[in-house]
Amino acid sequence: MFQKEREIITRTPYTDSFDFDEIREFITGASKNLFISHRFKKSDKILVQPRGGFPTYDKVFELYGEFIDAGVDVLPLTIDSNTRLNDYEMAKKMLALSEETDENMLNGYPLVNQGYRVTRKMVSHYDTPISLRHGTPDARLLIEVALASGIFEIEGGPITYLLPYSKNFPLDKAFLYWKYVERICADYSTLNEPINRESFGPLSATLQPPAIVIVIQLLEMLLSLEEGVKSFSVSFSQTGSLSQDIVSANVIKKMARKYAEKIGCGDADIHLVYHQWMGAFPRDKEFSDSLINTSTVIASMVRADKMITKTRDEAFGIPTPQVNAAAVRNTQYTLNMLRGIPTITDTEEEENLSEMVDDIMEAIFNDPADTLWRQVFNSIKNGIIDIPFSPHIINNGEAITVRDKNYNIRFYERGNVPISDRCLAFERSKVDLCGKSLVEHIIEDIGIML
Amino acid sequence: MRVVTGVVGNDIHVVANRLIEISLKERGFEVFNLGVNTYLEEFIDAVIETDADLLLISSLNGEAEGWSRDLLFLKSRFDLDGVLFAIGGNLSVGEASSEEIVPKYKAYGYDLVFHQVDLNEGLDSIEEALKAGV
Repeated sequence: MFQKEREIITRTPYTDSFDFDEIREFITGASKNLFISHRFKKSDKILVQPRGGFPTYDKVFELYGEFIDAGVDVLPLTIDSNTRLNDYEMAKKMLALSEETDENMLNGYPLVNQGYRVTRKMVSHYDTPISLRHGTPDARLLIEVALASGIFEIEGGPITYLLPYSKNFPLDKAFLYWKYVERICADYSTLNEPINRESFGPLSATLQPPAIVIVIQLLEMLLSLEEGVKSFSVSFSQTGSLSQDIVSANVIKKMARKYAEKIGCGDADIHLVYHQWMGAFPRDKEFSDSLINTSTVIASMVRADKMITKTRDEAFGIPTPQVNAAAVRNTQYTLNMLRGIPTITDTEEEENLSEMVDDIMEAIFNDPADTLWRQVFNSIKNGIIDIPFSPHIINNGEAITVRDKNYNIRFYERGNVPISDRCLAFERSKVDLCGKSLVEHIIEDIGIML
Repeated sequence: MRVVTGVVGNDIHVVANRLIEISLKERGFEVFNLGVNTYLEEFIDAVIETDADLLLISSLNGEAEGWSRDLLFLKSRFDLDGVLFAIGGNLSVGEASSEEIVPKYKAYGYDLVFHQVDLNEGLDSIEEALKAGV
């Protein structure tokens, strides 16, 4: 039945014809170096991964060459926005134009149109793990092509790739489409090393409360593990407060383990990914360098397994391959100085955050729906999960967060998010608006790195 | 006072939209926020459905102009007397002065036009206009 569905999904004139037997054979015999799950097991350093993707094969090939020379650990493949919206016809046109004119008419690599046979050549050539970065609510075909190409890390999920990106794509459909993705990742994971799934913790990257980020990371992890995925990365992005990053990391690691065991999936490997600052970047490139270095120090302090880099040109648009590769080289240089950096704990803050996460998780599990995805769906609809600054109509949008004087992100209004009165009082006790209006305060809080 | 607000056209500037919503609530409005990527027809429908006193459209990427040309036509089809129409944000694609932009948008059918005006100043003017019953 499932195979029938896969044949229907992959039968399209926009990509090459699928030979499932050949693909299984390829994955079974694929080089271990292509699997980030394998790399995680063998490496004792933080893996460094940039972002990047271009429309044409040649430009991606060149970009990867730059990254390899800079000492990259994991290569990215960022997908263009037409493909993300399943508009393969437009992607095809723009790819043709990009090839004719040598200008980039797409903001990423149109993997479906390029097809797996061509892409696999590049993947095999560099023999380095590749991480798929997209933002697609219906990624069924895209992931089929990615896995057939030898791309064995798949980012995203039904919540994290929908609520920050879309106004009205139906959330229930996103859950079902991602269930398909989890199932093929689980299926292929039995052939060789496991396929790694990664969630996207930055969300809308604007004053995201760690409790909400962690809950969503846990839920996407559980939705993935319950389908049989064996290797999963939870993630979050730099909050703007060093201490809050450390508290978040300690809590998310503990909670990921706890909830995986709770559903009987304690055998899965769970990793932590740290995103360098995802908010608005300064226009001063020296400041950007300083910010990126600080991010690298924090990634070391939180013992991340992988870090995703930014560049000094972030405020100005898509960086050149050279600038992008320079960021990788500098990050590796900084990391090298940070071996054995001591860990820190903050018991009071960690207890407060853990309590908020547990309370929200309990409310979700108490929803009367019969499956986890329906419980999560209902919990988003009724505001138990509420993402500040989500454009999606289903998001409740009542929770309001502000920074305290140390730049920790705190709940100011909880909306329907079921954190206890005690936790809310603790959060609010840290906040002082200093006589400013709430909105003035929020505008400053968003722009702290400018 | 009831207000319908949102971002017009294919514009996904959610942060500004959310800040406008919070500011309006702080000022005691009952807010119906249609969010980003909203068509002009949807705004008019919402004004009628909610019996709003104010329509406040925002725009950041200069898309408002293309979308505002039908406003007078839409207004003529319904009885919208007594509804204050306001628009604010960055209302041109390139550089343009308020002297140029404001008359243009008033001709489209807006009562109040704020081009690159501070949010709180703009909302103060709107409240004054509502009090005066314009």
